[in-house]
Amino acid sequence: MTNYGLVIDQERCIGCQACAVSCKQENNVPMGQFWNRVLTEGGDKIDTPSGGYPEDGGSGSLDMQYQPTACQHCENAPCVKVCPVNATYTRDDGIVEIDYDKCIGCRYCMAACPYNARVFNWDEPEHMPEEGTGDVAARPQGVVEKCTFCSHRVDEGLDPACVVNCPADARIFGDLDDESSTVSKYINEYETDQLLEDRGTNPKTHYISGEMSPGRPQTSDKLESELDDVSPWSDGTEDVPSEASGSDSSDSGGGHHSIEGDAVPHVPAVGSGGDD
Amino acid sequence: MNNPQQPRLTPIDEWEDEATAMLDGVEYDTELGLRMARDAIRVSNGELSDAEFHEKYHDEVLAEFGEDERPTKPEGFDDD
Repeated sequence: MTNYGLVIDQERCIGCQACAVSCKQENNVPMGQFWNRVLTEGGDKIDTPSGGYPEDGGSGSLDMQYQPTACQHCENAPCVKVCPVNATYTRDDGIVEIDYDKCIGCRYCMAACPYNARVFNWDEPEHMPEEGTGDVAARPQGVVEKCTFCSHRVDEGLDPACVVNCPADARIFGDLDDESSTVSKYINEYETDQLLEDRGTNPKTHYISGEMSPGRPQTSDKLESELDDVSPWSDGTEDVPSEASGSDSSDSGGGHHSIEGDAVPHVPAVGSGGDD
Repeated sequence: MNNPQQPRLTPIDEWEDEATAMLDGVEYDTELGLRMARDAIRVSNGELSDAEFHEKYHDEVLAEFGEDERPTKPEGFDDD
């Protein structure tokens, strides 16, 4: 059975926000809301590094890493379990979706989501242009909404918009149950983490850190399974290291970007109508 | 992006405060939502079964929402 998942290579991510912007456009996400966010691990503000500039010939200590975050489409999704009207549900292909006709806006799902991946339409959603963007109908006021892995695209055999529009090829989407898929091979071969693994939610988004992968060069916007010829980057010989030991971060020069301890990636909830 | 979208990392202890804030002003039982959220995580990490979770909150959910369509309903569970 198909079980869709996402791999994000944090060594490739350049924090350009293209995923966040393309998600907003493709999914008609209201002004002031984001389904897909690129958090900054560094200073106190977005795109602000921690540490200091080199002074007096020193090496400096500037450091900033990116943590792209959206709905993790958890296998054991707490949001699904608490929804009293079954508006939030898991599709057969593993994508967690919301039936906006059923949603009563109780926000229990938002409280249950450890990843703060959901947003609530406090007011009548505003769009620019007014008629909206992308191929998804606007959601009404008073409902919760979130990333769908662009299920409307996936149903058409297309990769999610954030994947197609990532200029760093840092996002790879595919079938976790298919051992030959690039996502499966990368998870097997590279050092990957899931956010808040101790929660037991088993997110379907996996993060590569420590050693940069080849990513998935976008030869088209089709799903990997829809392509007739996916070589050379997914034939298992050129894109995946032969030994897992090659993922030793101490030799790579790359940072280890997994969330440490009990921290939760978080952006404070805001009402609609903010600057985008 | 402006200040309200400022990214930060929130410790899990503080996340409960955030969850409280999310439910602030909701027209349903805030305290029930918090308890269910907490226990839903316990279900995810195996401390509580789906059936136990469903039965624990069934009466309260029914009273609050007039229905209980959660997918955690065990086979043969009597709604009455």
